[in-house]
Amino acid sequence: MTEARMLSGRRKKQFWGSLHLVLILAAIFVMLIPIIWIAMAAFKTHVDVYQLKLQFTPTLENFKIVFDAPYFLGHKLMNSTIVAFVTVLFAIPIATCAAYSFSRFRLRGETMMLVMILATQFVPAVVIVLPFFVMFRDLGILDTRLGLILVNLAIVMPFAIWMIKGFIDGIPIDTEEAALVDGSTRIQVIRNIVLPMAAPGLVTAGIFCFIIAWNEFLFALILTSKDAVTLPIGLALFKAEEGDLWNLLAAAGIIIMVPMFVLALIIQKHFVQGMTMGAVR
Amino acid sequence: MAGISLKNITKSWGAFVGVDNQSLEVHDKEFLVLLGPSGCGKTTTMRMIAGLEDPTSGEILIGERIVNDDLPKDRDIAMVFQNYGLYPHMTVFDNIAYPLKVRGTPKSEIAPRVNKAAEQVELTEFLHRKPKALSGGQRQRVALARAIVRTPQVFLMDEPLSNLDAKLRVTMRAELKHLSHQMQITTVYVTHDQIEAMTLADRIAVMKSGRIQQLGTPEEIYNDPANLFVASFIGSPAMNLIHGTVKDGQFITAGGRDVMKAGKGNRDNIVLGVRPEDLSIVDAGTGDFDVPVYAFENTGESVLVTGQFGKQRITAKGGRHVRKEIDEVVGIKADPDHIYMFDAKGGGRLDL
Amino acid sequence: MRDRHLKYVLVLPAILVVFATAVWPLFESLRLSFYFGKLSRPNFPQDFIGLENYTWAFLEEPAFWNSVWVTASYTFYTVVLTTLCALGLALLLAPGGKLRRGVQMLLIIPFAMSPALIGVSFRFMFNPEFGLFDAFFGFVFPPLADISWLSDPTLAFWVCIMADVWGWIPFLTLVLIGGLASIPRDTIEAAQVDGASGWRVLKDVTLPQLAPVLAVVIILKSIFSLKTFDQVYMLTNGGPGTATQTLSHYVYFNGLKYSNIGYSAAVAWLMVIPMIFLTYAYAKFVFRKREA
Repeated sequence: MTEARMLSGRRKKQFWGSLHLVLILAAIFVMLIPIIWIAMAAFKTHVDVYQLKLQFTPTLENFKIVFDAPYFLGHKLMNSTIVAFVTVLFAIPIATCAAYSFSRFRLRGETMMLVMILATQFVPAVVIVLPFFVMFRDLGILDTRLGLILVNLAIVMPFAIWMIKGFIDGIPIDTEEAALVDGSTRIQVIRNIVLPMAAPGLVTAGIFCFIIAWNEFLFALILTSKDAVTLPIGLALFKAEEGDLWNLLAAAGIIIMVPMFVLALIIQKHFVQGMTMGAVR
Repeated sequence: MAGISLKNITKSWGAFVGVDNQSLEVHDKEFLVLLGPSGCGKTTTMRMIAGLEDPTSGEILIGERIVNDDLPKDRDIAMVFQNYGLYPHMTVFDNIAYPLKVRGTPKSEIAPRVNKAAEQVELTEFLHRKPKALSGGQRQRVALARAIVRTPQVFLMDEPLSNLDAKLRVTMRAELKHLSHQMQITTVYVTHDQIEAMTLADRIAVMKSGRIQQLGTPEEIYNDPANLFVASFIGSPAMNLIHGTVKDGQFITAGGRDVMKAGKGNRDNIVLGVRPEDLSIVDAGTGDFDVPVYAFENTGESVLVTGQFGKQRITAKGGRHVRKEIDEVVGIKADPDHIYMFDAKGGGRLDL
Repeated sequence: MRDRHLKYVLVLPAILVVFATAVWPLFESLRLSFYFGKLSRPNFPQDFIGLENYTWAFLEEPAFWNSVWVTASYTFYTVVLTTLCALGLALLLAPGGKLRRGVQMLLIIPFAMSPALIGVSFRFMFNPEFGLFDAFFGFVFPPLADISWLSDPTLAFWVCIMADVWGWIPFLTLVLIGGLASIPRDTIEAAQVDGASGWRVLKDVTLPQLAPVLAVVIILKSIFSLKTFDQVYMLTNGGPGTATQTLSHYVYFNGLKYSNIGYSAAVAWLMVIPMIFLTYAYAKFVFRKREA
């Protein structure tokens, strides 16, 4: 190999290397810019927000306003938290029992049940919400947290079952059989062996479901109007007659997304697994 | 203390038959090895004894009691698993103590018994560690200690050494042998490794396709194989199996070229089996027949000479100072007391 | 309790919940779709009318066909664009290294963002007076400077697509990175040693092995695209006019704004049909993995 060729080879590598880097940085920039822009707007005064300014004096005023009258975002925050939390509280134990059984035993109609659970995830939410709207109206639980929790279970359960099943599949069965032989009943095995070993997985699934319930929009839009309104629906409050109140919208946006970012980062490794429900690993 | 008996046990999943109408008696205090290739039903047989799998039909007795409907915990057994099955969230001490705790052994008794079991497998200094912080051999010892901490009626061991590296496996094998001699407890041991089987067993059951092919002491299995499968499965390097016919007390190889004195009467479709160690390498013209050398391998402690005749090959084991060249013609001499004849079609042993 | 009973007891609560929250409403919707059902009038649902809701949608409602068209093209463009962008990004990140770990962490962030909020933020970015993207596009291509993005039917549609693609790229990228990582390194190295160029390696070795993961990603994205509601609602609310009215939005509008439950149930069920095929395809992938 001549020296000139070596040099051109190195140049070529350097060129591709820097192009590679530039493209990745550009992708990061595009991914983050809407979030950064919202975050900046949240700290701008209502004057600054209507200008394309990068330099401004940050203020916490917007956060104060959204929690005050007439917006009372605190109430929506409370609703969102309670609805998402109680949904998870019901979903995870129920899903864990089912996931354990699906993972460890052969059941009659097992494939059919699993496909059914998978399929419910793909049913358009508008189909499900219509009968619930009618039923809740008749039962008088429209615009209550209870109603919202019930329908949220519909979206959360399939994710929870498939995700936890994935975690339990990963626990070596040897350990459980050892415990059975060592003198445990099946229930003791689940309590003493499976639950401690699956605990990180259960927490992950719980967080994942919390995020889904927190971000849920269509059910809350249709089934709530005043008392049980959640944060994402609360965003509509800031559409005033004179146009959108962007600084307040942004502040509310921050309150909606920052806790979810933190939670998502905690469970980042398992996010993909949860969303694809066992089709990719 | 108790024996185990399996009476006409069958295990099938749909059309697939894992264990096929099998009966087996394991005597009290006996060390019985179930040996066979993967998928032969040996592990399934053991798991049915443990109660981790229900037989499709047949009866299982431990001692005098039919245990078919007993949960694993009620069968008074201890088991060592292939992947050890340690509880990763418990320390070594708690792992070993678990069978005692869950059976409600008084607290004051637990510590001394755990310590004694740990001592027997030389784990005393690791009691406070979690399994993650142990090497493969140490994990294996924890699994053993957990099995011996109680005095169960039966030990079950499912390929316990297969996850260890070759050197450690030899060490642990000796320790296991020593331990089982001390404990004097009925043991069923599953393996696909014939050396483990030969060294550990009082009796070996060689299995294939869900059936026991031969049940006997290691000597019987090695020196008196019941059929072609057992003959070919046991021994390393494997037994030579040569196709041919017997005519008037002469064995004629399938190519029809070579002849040796063996067998009696007339019969077609014969497989002649002879172990490499029962063959000796002699000068051309002085053995049973002459062959050109196909391959010469020196293993250090001995040499293997493979000769070719027609389309068949024969391997003989020679002393470690023997040297042969490829294509050199050598004589091969067989020990007439250790020649076996099998039916090539059915695989059964023939008395010829 | 013996295992053979216990195993059914354990799944029972979950099956009941799934039945009550998903299976029952699905079939109740089907039943309602055969009725004339106006929630605002007494004695709901009023009259059994057979398939009339369906024939009405097919024959008398240009708005329905408009939504079908919007949803179909929306699904097509978002699936193609998201998959291509995510594949490109995944290939950029595949070599690994410190940068990738950082980027992977950042990729999680937009994905945890509520779709409704994505809609809001894009409405903000494309605001004609002070939107950042609006200013950016005006800067690189001056004729676009005075355009009011969300008042133009075609542009509003493309803004919706941009928002959707933006929101889904991270997730698809993460899945594809996982898929790329599971391709045995030595098959790629063998091709390199055999003399294939980078492009040939990608075409002949990498992509064929990535195909199952790509298929899963495309099916999953199609399902979510077909259902799109949240961000369109927040971004354009179906407008201007009905230029961005997806089927979900159309159902919402008819059912809840005009309380025409029977009719909207019929349209909602028409959405279920393509889902059945996609779910079937998806389940095939899930269970193929299980048997392997």
